[in-house]
Amino acid sequence: MRKPALVRRDRVLPATQALGFFVGIVVALLLGAVLLIVSDHSPAEVYERMFDSALRGTDSLSRTLGRATPLALTGLSVAVAGSMGLWNIGAEGQMMAGAIVATGVAMMADGLSGPLLIALMMAAGVAGGMLLMLGPALARSHLRVSEIITTLMLVYVAIRVVEWLETGPWKDPDSFGFAVIEPVPEQAALPSLFGRANIGMLIALGLLIVFSVAVSRTAWGYELRLAGSSPDTARYAGVSLRRKVLVALILSGGIAGLAGAVQLTGSATRLESGLSNGYGFAGIIVAALALMRPSGVAVAAFVFGAVQVGGQSIQTLGVSSAIADILQAMILFGALVAVVLFNYRIRWTGPAREQQADERLGSAITQEAADV
Amino acid sequence: MASSDADYAVWLRGIEKQFPGVIACAGADLRVRPGTIHALLGENGAGKTTMANVLAGVYRPDGGEVWVNGRRRFFQSPADAIQAGVGMVYQEFRLVPTLTVAENIVLGAAPRLLRGAEIEQRVAELSAAYGLAADPARPVWQLSMGERQRVEILKALWRNASVLVMDEPTAVLTPGEAAELGVTLRAMAAEGRSVVYISHKLDQVVAFCDEATVLRRGKTVATVDDLDDVDLQELAEMMVGSSQGVAMDRPPPVDTGSEVLRLQGIHAVGDRGLPALTGIDLTVRSGEIVGIVGVSGNGQKELAEVISGLREPTEGQVSVKGQDVTAASSSDRYRLGLAYVPEDRLGMGLAPKMSVVDNSVVRSYRSQRRGLFLSTAKCTEFCRGLVERFGVRVGRLNDPIAGLSGGNLQRLLLGRELAGRPSVLVAAQPSRGLDVQGVAAIHGHLIDQRADGVGVLLISEDLDELLALSDRLLVMFEGRIMGEYGPDVTPRTILGAAMAGNPPR
Repeated sequence: MRKPALVRRDRVLPATQALGFFVGIVVALLLGAVLLIVSDHSPAEVYERMFDSALRGTDSLSRTLGRATPLALTGLSVAVAGSMGLWNIGAEGQMMAGAIVATGVAMMADGLSGPLLIALMMAAGVAGGMLLMLGPALARSHLRVSEIITTLMLVYVAIRVVEWLETGPWKDPDSFGFAVIEPVPEQAALPSLFGRANIGMLIALGLLIVFSVAVSRTAWGYELRLAGSSPDTARYAGVSLRRKVLVALILSGGIAGLAGAVQLTGSATRLESGLSNGYGFAGIIVAALALMRPSGVAVAAFVFGAVQVGGQSIQTLGVSSAIADILQAMILFGALVAVVLFNYRIRWTGPAREQQADERLGSAITQEAADV
Repeated sequence: MASSDADYAVWLRGIEKQFPGVIACAGADLRVRPGTIHALLGENGAGKTTMANVLAGVYRPDGGEVWVNGRRRFFQSPADAIQAGVGMVYQEFRLVPTLTVAENIVLGAAPRLLRGAEIEQRVAELSAAYGLAADPARPVWQLSMGERQRVEILKALWRNASVLVMDEPTAVLTPGEAAELGVTLRAMAAEGRSVVYISHKLDQVVAFCDEATVLRRGKTVATVDDLDDVDLQELAEMMVGSSQGVAMDRPPPVDTGSEVLRLQGIHAVGDRGLPALTGIDLTVRSGEIVGIVGVSGNGQKELAEVISGLREPTEGQVSVKGQDVTAASSSDRYRLGLAYVPEDRLGMGLAPKMSVVDNSVVRSYRSQRRGLFLSTAKCTEFCRGLVERFGVRVGRLNDPIAGLSGGNLQRLLLGRELAGRPSVLVAAQPSRGLDVQGVAAIHGHLIDQRADGVGVLLISEDLDELLALSDRLLVMFEGRIMGEYGPDVTPRTILGAAMAGNPPR
């Protein structure tokens, strides 16, 4: 008669969460091994290749960090909105908007020196992301229109705008008829740190630290957390919910826009409709893995980056891209499920009398319910 | 034992149920005979809805027994309760708006082969049998609230419920629809089915119901076998308590000082957009406790919100220490000396998922800043001070507050409000759901504040509490103050009459 029920833990230690993350990945790798065996590959070989290509040596590490950089920014974008209980599903679009405005600035100011141009383009990226978020944010704060729908729909608007710019007003006259936009000026390329890891990584890391501290240690962050966790209490404390919602969403849009500018000046050469490359949507998973806390985003983005790099590399072993995708999804899913499940414990419930009997006898003997 | 149990359609015996911070039921009983409409009465938070949810299989009781039609039951889910013949109609209807009436009724309990026309036919027969007019082919979103409720009742009848539980069924109905509901329920009772009718609308209870159980503070305090034997006033008294048991040392009167809170001609609308306050005038002086008496839902909640700055009045003026604060925010009012212990302590007063420290600075975080930052040291020190001064039993200060018991939550909340040395304290249901010690501690603090010259406005549904603590009593009914009474000189019958809307002239 006794059934298991999930009960939320009052307190979750960071160590417990880290353990959950690790356990989830291990379980997923074990399940993935079954998948690999069934599809006629050697799990040991595949996992070794994944590890080597994503984590072993500076070259591999730089690849992973290069991937993790935009993921960290979009993850932070989603997490900033998420800490208020809001969902920015459209970081993908805000990335594009940021890249569009940054490209526009580069076209107008391509005579400037590198650092100055880069700084201008970053600011333009933030502005672009914020601009695209302005509508959804105002609609949410003043009219209670779901930001989930509006931010998502604007993703497609932003991508179509890029397609229009490619074929129309910004079409590169020197492109021999191809519909591409002219490359960003050379001096605007983000300097590399090592391998494929560039300055963008430091920008992302800096921003993560700023937001982690702002959310956990400032009065502004306190109000944000209060409004996110208990809106009525925030109202009672004299916090304007409307303004908090507006600010959280606009900031979220700005960070995603910055991710667009970083991607544009970091690993891309020009604005194109594939620039955002799914990083914005992946940011939702990163933020979920980080439990919507800015402090957890760095780790989650790094793991996600490593999984992506590793997943691509195993295709050289003859693993089909479909299997590689399933494997990546399993690892992320495993980590996500475990992180969430470790917030709960299992309680066995049954008729009160049986429970008492169990406790008295200290055994698992169950009595038939008294209604028989 | 089993033979006498069989006489009851429902027997809930010694039900205990605790939620984080609140004792909802502390050994409550409910016995319902077959073929009767049984009123389950009590103030908000007395445990009515919890009892209903235990009976309907939504909650599993921490202690006590559930008997339905003579058999002991261990419901694990609402499905088990439905199986046993218990149907529940919730306050918020649970219908799928885009499906038709017939589809909603058979949802989850349909014959294996769905034949639309046949099901509509059978639903139509069922509704005709109980006089519940409902077109089976209409989508639910087109229906009025009264019609939707009929669909909910038909849902329970379709599942052949022998016991129907209705939670505040008339809250969403027009008076005409409410009267029709009464006819339907009578027809069901005539067939031998039982109805558990939860309400605090006493006139309807007297009109519809045969018998009644009154809950207070999670316990059964009275049962009425025949409602024809009692009148509205008696019922009102039972709900707010008339036991003489908790005689408390009334604090000696203190010299009352200047006026600290004044409301003039306050009008306000409630959450449903209907007038909730219609012309409230009241004053509280320093050093007195003014009690607001009334059956819940007569504007007490709105009154507290208007005073604390969480609800804008449509008319009138609120002043604190002679200063007009009608346009001031909740936090500005706190700074001017108005503290507020809200009724919903874990939804509004405290943020359950945040830490003890975070919760203790809800009022004062603006002054715990160091530059841009919120000083962790200052906040922790402030919190530790509260915990010590108000005897809050806590584990770690950085743990979420949800793990604290109700008494400790309320000590922390009250302590936090008093830390700003207020001149006025508005306390709404400050001791509801607390254990004996918790109640005593809160009462002690209120009396201390009065002695320190704070003016206290105590809003409560517990007449014993109000009589024990208040210097003056104001009776509220339908958004108005019916009159002012001295707690020592006023017989309870007079208070009861005023609470029912008939103050003696």
